[in-house]
Amino acid sequence: MTSRTKLLRFVPGLVGGLTLVLLAFGTPAGAYHTNFTWGCNNQWENVARVRRSDARLYAYVAASEGYQWGGGCWNNNNVDDSPGDPPRDPNTRGEGPDCSGFTFKSWLERSETSDAGFRYHYWLQNVHGPYSAAAFKSGAGAPNITVAKASTVYMDAFASTNHIGMIYWANTAYNQDRIIEAKCEACGTGTWARTYRGNPDYTGVRRLYWQ
Amino acid sequence: MKKKWRWPLAGFVLGGLVGATLLTVNVVGASSPVPAGAESNSFGEILHTPPLLARASEPIELRYDVVCGGAKDEPGGTCSPKGSVFVRASGANGFVEQPLEREPDGLLSAEVSVGDGGFDYYAEIENGHGETATLPEAAAAAPQHVWPLRSWTTVDLGAESFGETTPPSSVVSELTWGKGTQALGLDSGQEQSRIGPSAFDVAPDGSIVVLDQVNHRLSRLRPDGTSMQLPIDFAGGEGDLAVGGDGTIYVLDAGASQPVVRSFSPAGDLIAGTPLGEATGDMIRVGSDGPLVHAYPSEMWLPTGRGRPPLAPEQQLSGAQAARTVDGGQAVVVSASPAEARFALVRGGDVVGSWLVRSSTSLGEVQLAEPYGDGLLVVVRVWDENQAVFRVLRLAPDGLAGSFAVDRAEWAETASLSRFRLHGSTLYQLRSDPSGVEIAAFEIGGTR
Repeated sequence: MTSRTKLLRFVPGLVGGLTLVLLAFGTPAGAYHTNFTWGCNNQWENVARVRRSDARLYAYVAASEGYQWGGGCWNNNNVDDSPGDPPRDPNTRGEGPDCSGFTFKSWLERSETSDAGFRYHYWLQNVHGPYSAAAFKSGAGAPNITVAKASTVYMDAFASTNHIGMIYWANTAYNQDRIIEAKCEACGTGTWARTYRGNPDYTGVRRLYWQ
Repeated sequence: MKKKWRWPLAGFVLGGLVGATLLTVNVVGASSPVPAGAESNSFGEILHTPPLLARASEPIELRYDVVCGGAKDEPGGTCSPKGSVFVRASGANGFVEQPLEREPDGLLSAEVSVGDGGFDYYAEIENGHGETATLPEAAAAAPQHVWPLRSWTTVDLGAESFGETTPPSSVVSELTWGKGTQALGLDSGQEQSRIGPSAFDVAPDGSIVVLDQVNHRLSRLRPDGTSMQLPIDFAGGEGDLAVGGDGTIYVLDAGASQPVVRSFSPAGDLIAGTPLGEATGDMIRVGSDGPLVHAYPSEMWLPTGRGRPPLAPEQQLSGAQAARTVDGGQAVVVSASPAEARFALVRGGDVVGSWLVRSSTSLGEVQLAEPYGDGLLVVVRVWDENQAVFRVLRLAPDGLAGSFAVDRAEWAETASLSRFRLHGSTLYQLRSDPSGVEIAAFEIGGTR
């Protein structure tokens, strides 16, 4: 068999093998954009009480890391690794949390709603938690209560029926609050000055039992 | 195995391995905790609200908090920052260092005398991990400032009744939600904000220019009722917009990782763009020398330049101003809290006029504060747990010259402080409900 003949038989096989693998595994990745969550995990550990400042630091890491409807997995490279995912599709498998998942992880809550204890969720743990924004707004779950907005402090939250954001720094010069939140696919996750405090659509929400 | 299948099979296996390697590298690389080049150990952020306006000769407390950078993926991790403020009395030459004390709640603070002329200051803080930062970032080159209030006009609003609101004098434009020529984009859904057009402004020819960022365009609504859509680059979910006296349109694209300011001709052609010098910006306005962006964490106004090229981030930081410059060599200063809101018109270090607005109902954000006659026109939210209105105040040197309540009409979110604009003696409001958006006008009266 000549080299040319070998090559003519080898190349179709190479193309076929490459095509088969990319079609079998690459097509879902393409359909799901970056398939960021492929590298996520389910690692967590239960911990004793933590401070609000620790929770704010945890949330701060997620800033600039993107937004994913129904998501909860991010790294710390300050880049949305899955920008432009089609919104409101949990199957896009992009980086970042949504608003309620972000609050759940940042408040170190547990998936068991009757358990008010703290649980550290690793950044890459792809968990959303059991609460929607509306559930937080009603104070659902053992760790959560509603509070008067006038009495809120940092790392309390303001929740409406479709969104929740946590207080990063209260009372700016223009009397807003800097909020840390997973805002929307185009917005990503970050800190912005907001006027939720005075908006009747929003309720004050507090995670209990901080150290 | 027949020999004729050996080479195709070898190719097939190798192709499969190459494909699998490509996918693995791609996916694992995207979801690695710390990809190459990531800023994994940055300083973090200094948090501080500048007092800006304080009673002369009384001490005030400067308070700081720090969110540490370089966090590890493990429980805890809060650092123990320490530092100093550097204070310079107005008119003095050098800054004097004053150590920051740690309070029981963990904040760092220092008590500073306002003096008769006010003072400049900046903070230098080490985050406990060996990294140091200053706030404002340009430190002594562009420090924060506090103006002294020797006398002021007090306006007591009492308790808000939350009764009837004043209807608009007219509705300038009505648009539905959508993508058509008479529509504005709405980004909404479960577990995210309901986001409509972020901002608007009034152009010199009377057109309303709306930042329809959901549709990646500007909508120009002409006085004759016709409209024009101008496609623009816009990466973030929200932003702000201001139109200059020459018709140039300035857009703040408030993305999560790096805000950008772009300028456009009245026809929508891109003139220039520049990254913002700080991590977050919430307002863009046109001052006497061009566009200014209110930025965080400094809470100062950064000039971004009216020309081409615009100002680079370092130039913005070195030109940061504590007050927002307006025409006539004056500047507006706002310092508000739930109990009272302070406003001043200043000229350099001198306070030209100052007002203290009190209410027994909680005050919310100051939506607008613009020179009006020899005073200010102010729009401030007044709220309790279940209701809210915007209250329009005409502040004159001798007190409150007029006041009325406006329906909040905030079904969809805008940029946080961009619901109102003043043009001449007409106050415009961007209002929304489930059916769409309207631009409403309120005639203020008096002389601007």
